[in-house]
Amino acid sequence: MVSEKHPRRITALLAVAVAAVALAFGLAACGGGGDSGINGGGETEEVKLEKKATGDITISNWPLYIDKQTVPDFEKETGLSVKYIEDVNANEEFFAKMDPLLKQGESGGRSLFVVTDWMANKMHELGYLQNFDKSALPNFEKNLVANLKEPSYDPKREFSAPWQSGMTGIIVRKDLAPDVKSICDLFDPKYKGKVEMLNELRDTVPLVMKCLGIDPEGASEGDWMKAIDKIKEATESGQIRRFTGNDYGADLTSGNAVAVIGWSGDAVQLQADNPNIEWRMPTEGCILWSDNMVIPVGAPNPTAAEEWINYVYEPKNEAQIEAYVNYVSPVENVKPILLKEEPEVAKNQLIFPSKSFTKNCTIQPSPTGEEEQNLNRAFNAVVNG
Amino acid sequence: MRRRVVPYFLLGPGAAWLLLFFVVPLYYLAELSLNGGVFGSYEFDWHWANYSDALSLYDTQFIRSFVYAGLATLFALLLAYPLAYTIAFKAGRWRNLFLFAVVAPFFTTYLIRTLAWETILSDQSPVVSVLDTLGLAPEGHVLATGGAVIAGLTYNFLPFMVLPIYASLERIDVRLIEAGKDLYASASQTFFRVTLPLSAPGVVAGTLLTFIPASGDYVNAQFLGSASNQMIGNVIQSLYLKQSDYPAAAALSFVLMAAILILVLIYIRFAGSESLMGEEAV
Repeated sequence: MVSEKHPRRITALLAVAVAAVALAFGLAACGGGGDSGINGGGETEEVKLEKKATGDITISNWPLYIDKQTVPDFEKETGLSVKYIEDVNANEEFFAKMDPLLKQGESGGRSLFVVTDWMANKMHELGYLQNFDKSALPNFEKNLVANLKEPSYDPKREFSAPWQSGMTGIIVRKDLAPDVKSICDLFDPKYKGKVEMLNELRDTVPLVMKCLGIDPEGASEGDWMKAIDKIKEATESGQIRRFTGNDYGADLTSGNAVAVIGWSGDAVQLQADNPNIEWRMPTEGCILWSDNMVIPVGAPNPTAAEEWINYVYEPKNEAQIEAYVNYVSPVENVKPILLKEEPEVAKNQLIFPSKSFTKNCTIQPSPTGEEEQNLNRAFNAVVNG
Repeated sequence: MRRRVVPYFLLGPGAAWLLLFFVVPLYYLAELSLNGGVFGSYEFDWHWANYSDALSLYDTQFIRSFVYAGLATLFALLLAYPLAYTIAFKAGRWRNLFLFAVVAPFFTTYLIRTLAWETILSDQSPVVSVLDTLGLAPEGHVLATGGAVIAGLTYNFLPFMVLPIYASLERIDVRLIEAGKDLYASASQTFFRVTLPLSAPGVVAGTLLTFIPASGDYVNAQFLGSASNQMIGNVIQSLYLKQSDYPAAAALSFVLMAAILILVLIYIRFAGSESLMGEEAV
């Protein structure tokens, strides 16, 4: 009996193992073949609202992009329960993670996430985003700052709502590089090996174009290439030490770098720790960009997501976020509130820039399609020389 | 019946694991590497140009990776052999403590240890000013140079070199070494004709365990290197996560895998010859 029983049990176990492997294969095959579920660009679906937002939502945002109090306050006011995760570290990385899901019409449980202009545009073109139902967004309609109302990629603000805006310019160590005032100054041999630039095509290259006297707006592929060549030369000569993400902060603090291309909000925070660090508006002007809240396809509870957008577009709520975040507020009427509560924040040109301060700045340009691929290859060949 | 089934049964879980997490992803990687088109609309169309592009665009980084990994392996070997030898034969009751010291860095993550090097070698640090006075920092800084990347690789993979060498040294029958002395061999003759050949398997294992991961490493080059010291791992990372050029990244990964495989086969062909495996000494 026994000698007969065991082989049978083993065969059964083997069968289970084989079945498991086969199943896994099958699942993997499903994952690979998916171009179902979404509609290509053009006919974006609109969010379907329920009467009242209830339940819970998951929001994905960048790290250090909100104060500690806003989420609990929102929960208290609306009765919703929010899972707020900080899992967006870079647009491309986030896209690589989300693409397989969004392709299937799923958002991985996220009701809303935040990406930069060009990525919002790209996701929209791929049919990965839903249009807002504006009837639930009265605050957004009323309080969005005028200069962000009609961006070229979303002229009616149908699918993107700015979370924060910012400027890309120069951050220097006042004590070690007092006379760096323009992008062109970054190429001064005096600072050889002490200059760093962002490893972001759309930040670094347009700024260098400005130094070359080229207007990044409507620049041709050849114009971009000229700037990339200049960066390449400076890399090969050892002028540029390395290309960074926001880890330039550590290099500025230690003095490994004395002048870098960096982001305005970072500078405010770095300066608080080290008064020798200072953001400077390049004489050539800066690059302006926004990170935007978007509602992806397959988002659970989009009604609650719109409730959230409407909530942060209430000036008093935005003021609370702004006092912590230090980037540029996309919401009107926040400054008067902060003038009373946090006058130093309200008077900071990096947080509430005046028109004259940003007069030479350019909205972040974004090449697409084959041009984008060529420029990406050329730029990253320099970054990974 | 039972005897015939049991080995397969024992192989089952391992085989299923490899199939699921190695063969299947490899298949998709291969398919991806032959996709054409641009970001957002990649399509499978036997796009072999990805491979020729990968080789022609990134040959510098390939060569650099193997040079860096090779040098790091060499330095690790030069550091590890005497260390392993001391622990195996001379450490006495301190042996376990020394072994613990070799493994201890693993209690901190690899990333943190590399970041610590960034601090140790930062431009204003005392280490760098000493090196500078000795004329060892011609560019005025040590960070953001090839030397820093090689040093980081050597440091990070050193335990992988020490442990296999130690294991093979420790297994050596001491009577063989005594026999060498009895037969009037000098200390160095005994070492080169008895000890070294007998520890060769450990050396081969150690060099492979160091060289293979070091060639694909990107952390050291990212934090300790400049734009001109980036390795092939950095290129793949950047292609995949920064440029979203998945087909090119996949093709490059395949080329890297093939290149390492060929180098390792050549190495084993030579290192695996009988004299080095200790046949002569036995």
